[in-house]
Formats: sequence, structure tokens, C-alpha cells
Amino acid sequence: MKSIVENFDLFAPKLVDKEEYYSSGHRACQGCGEALAIRLMAKALGKDTVVTNATGCMEVTATPYPTTAWKLPWVHVAFPNSASVGAGVESALRVLRRKGKIADRYIKVVSIGGDGGSFDIGFQAISGAMERGHDMIYIVYDNEAYMNTGIQRSGATPFGASTTTAPAGKESVGNKNWKKNMAEIMVAHRVPYVATATHSHPIDFMNKVKKARKVNGPAFIHCLAVCPTGWRSSSETCIKLGRLAVETGVFPLYEVENGKYKFSPDNPPKLRPLEDYLKPQGRFRHLTPDQINIFRDMAMIEYNKVLERVKHSKSWSELK
Amino acid sequence: MVSFIIDGKKVEAEAGANVLQVARKYGIVIPTLCCHESVAPSGACRLCVVEVKKGKRTRIVTSCLYPVDEGIVVETKTDRVLNVRRLVMQLLMARCPESEVLKDMAKEMGIEPQPAFHPDTDKGKCVLCRLCVKACEDVVGASAIGLSGRGKNKKVGAPFMEDSKTCIGCGACAYICPTEHIIMESTDSKRKIWGRTFKMQPCDKCGRYFAPVDQLKFISDKTGTPMTELAVCMSCK
Repeated sequence: MKSIVENFDLFAPKLVDKEEYYSSGHRACQGCGEALAIRLMAKALGKDTVVTNATGCMEVTATPYPTTAWKLPWVHVAFPNSASVGAGVESALRVLRRKGKIADRYIKVVSIGGDGGSFDIGFQAISGAMERGHDMIYIVYDNEAYMNTGIQRSGATPFGASTTTAPAGKESVGNKNWKKNMAEIMVAHRVPYVATATHSHPIDFMNKVKKARKVNGPAFIHCLAVCPTGWRSSSETCIKLGRLAVETGVFPLYEVENGKYKFSPDNPPKLRPLEDYLKPQGRFRHLTPDQINIFRDMAMIEYNKVLERVKHSKSWSELK
Repeated sequence: MVSFIIDGKKVEAEAGANVLQVARKYGIVIPTLCCHESVAPSGACRLCVVEVKKGKRTRIVTSCLYPVDEGIVVETKTDRVLNVRRLVMQLLMARCPESEVLKDMAKEMGIEPQPAFHPDTDKGKCVLCRLCVKACEDVVGASAIGLSGRGKNKKVGAPFMEDSKTCIGCGACAYICPTEHIIMESTDSKRKIWGRTFKMQPCDKCGRYFAPVDQLKFISDKTGTPMTELAVCMSCK
């Protein structure tokens, strides 16, 4: 048996880094899960990091001219190309290192983007960067719609969510499809480390980011970030909703190391009823019991798919 | 505020700060193993050595313990510093030959193991940095582990290497250990650390095993919170 240093409660939070790299005073909404997730990510990554940020909430709220909340080198790029700029920065750093200009340190490049900038618009850039095997991390903050521009649906919006471009009404249930399984797509790119996380499980999230930093090659983390504004929930439920997403099985936490699936210890042994997750959110208010059943079926397909893979998947070294 | 020079750069810092803190603030890399914000610095790993010139005298000091002073000149990358750092690293690698953390660090610093140093086989991955002992004492407040023995027999563990009665199984030592020497094995209902097996508390509401019973008792005694309130996991609170 190997040492399991992941299921910590109570004392581990006292031992995490106290240095802040994403400072307070940014303009994110009350109860923003995304800002919290970025703060935790920056803490886990540490000082020697370059961040490239696609357009989105986190760019708009963190850097209104002439201020910035970032204490790390940070590049804002257009909506589609966070990953390609990250790849370019990584190549440049590699050359500088080879020439001995930054010989004393290893600098990690982290590209971040929202679900719009990753699932839809920035998709080909991510696909390219991951497939070329750049030594970088891509972290997507998934708040399940284009929240920055006013809650338009994206490829990450779940079934039944009412958005401004997929409104619920007499004829429509809101968004008609289930969200794209981005982690799975990244596994198909043969990315050595893929993980899903939420800001509501901070130690788990930070451990995953630290693990991704150690990977020599591409790594991908899909982080669910609660958006009280767009999810039409009250701001104090931010952490609770992230936890409920995991506990009801809507967003299972797992990591894929070299093709081998592993369930994270924060997943509950028994799932809670789905209604606990849907009820506090105004975007699901209109769902009838029949529609909730459709939602449950769609969520369970994804959940059971992960369970199956955890049981049967093999790492690449075993498949040789 | 005092002003002094690090690597030719004029810097300012609060009086009482240590050289290591100031250097890191100005983006200068100094490798460390035993430095952690939550506990006081102790200068145990010796990797953070730098050269300090004060008046006419130049000497090698541990930067994590050396307080800044007006007019000192600090050099972090001279040949003398790198020589000392290499020797320290090679001695650490000879002590813990199987430690991946040390191997990665050495690779980063471009240091090869010294073949003349005979590798130890009985020390595990422990570099005797005392982080775990201090975390147990200062952060947790249990004081369950300590160092025993002298010289080459010095090692970390519970008193007399027996099952410690004061250990609460929180795992803070395993979390803080820089070289992953301390092993904590967890299955659902049991957790094993320092040779003792702890019973885990299932959550009253969801049934997930979330913390050792002894740890909850410890928190209950310390804060006066009744056990019934503590027996609910973070998710269900």
C-alpha cells in the first residue's frame, strides 16, 4: 500500500501556503466560486508561474484598468487562444532555460479560461496545445454558461438550465443537451494527467493542481465553479452548491493518470437525492418531475461511465 | 526599514525579517526543505546557505535564520555558496538515497550524488528537519512525536517508538513532511500512522468516514464543542 496523503480534514487547511497571489479587491460578484478557485490555484502553483487568461469573467473582474489582482506574471489574450499563447510562452521559456538565462528555476505555464473560452471558442487551441505535448497546465473554470456577457448557453450548460439564449418557457425546457465531457476528450488526447475538481473541496483541488504542476508534459483540470449570478442562486450557497454537485453525482471528482481512472476520496459513498442540488438554483426552477427524471438519467449516464472506467481502465504501461 | 544588497540589487526590508524571506520577495531562488510558514524557521536542512558580508568579514550563514541588517551584502550564487550547497545536497542524498523529492531537487540544481559517500539504508526518507515535530506541537497542539537518539541514531517517532497515546491521527505530520517519509495509510474505516491504527468516525448524516475518532475527541476537549456536533462531516454541516 502506498501513502495516501489526500483525505485530510481539519488540520491540513492550517498548513497550506499563506502567501496570496490573487489579491482581494477584485470586482467579482458576491459569492463568486471562480475567483475562489483561482485564488486556490495560484496558492497551489506558487511563485514561479506564468498565467495566460482567455477573455471571460476572471479577466474582466481581476484587471479593470489600471489595477490588477494578480501577483503573478499574467497575460490576457483573446477569447480563443489562451492555450496557444500558453504553448508559445512555454516554448520561449524552454529556449531561455536552454540558453542559461533562467537556469536557476523551473517556471510552469498555466493557461486558464472559462467554459466559453475552452469548451466552445478556445477548443481547437486547447486541442492543439495538448496534442503537441507542451509542458503546461490548462485549467478550465466551468460556470456552465457565458456569465460575463449575460448568461448565454455554452457547450458546458447542463440539460434544463434556463439561459438568455436558451430560455425556458411553454415550448422549451431551456437548454436541451447535456454538457460536453471535456475531461474525456482530453484523455483521448493522451494527456498524462486529467482531473476534475471543484472549489468547494479546496484541499483536493490544490493537491490536483500541485500534481499537475509536477507532470512533465500537458495536464488538464476541469474545475466546476459556482456562479450565483448566472445560476440564479443566493450568494451564500456558493460552497454548498459545489459540494452538492459532487454529492448528488452531477459532477463526479476523479483523476486520470496515464489513462488510469481514479475516484477522488471526497466522493460520497451514497449519492444524495438530485433535488437537493436543483432546488436552490433558479435556472432549474421550471423543471417538472418528468424533466427532472430526464436530467437524472443524463447525469447518471455520465456518473456510471466514470464508475465503469474506474473499475476497468488500465494505465498505458499495463496496455503495452 | 533597513536597506542592504542581495546579488548586487539594492533592497529594503522590515527590521527583523530574515534574509530568505526578503530574497524570495525579490524573486531570488534559494532552495529549502525545512522552511514552512506555519512553523518557526530552524535552519535544519542547511540548503538555504548564502554568503553574507558584514563589515570586513564574509561568512556562510543559513538565510532562513539570519536577520537582515543595515548595509550587509548578501550573495546567493557565488562559487563558495554553490559548493557548500552541493555538499549539503550530496550528504542528504547519501542519507536518503531513495527519496524522489531530493533526486528532483538535485536534478534541478544540477548536482550528481557523490560516489564516495556511502548511502545509508536504514534512514528511510527522513532528513531530520523537525517540521513534523513542530507542526504537531505548534499547529495541532498534541506533541505526540519527537526526535530521539543522538548522532547517527537520531530518529523521529512517538516516545520509545511505541504506540503513542497522545497521537490523534490527524495526519498533519504526513502532510507537512517535505520528503514524504511519514506514511499514512487510509482505508474507509481505519487509518494507520506511526504504527497505530485509528478508528475513523462515520458522518452522522451521510455515513462517509471523515476523521479519526481520537481527533474529534481532542477537538471536543480543547474547544468544549460536544461530540454530537463534531460527528457531522464538512459536507453535511
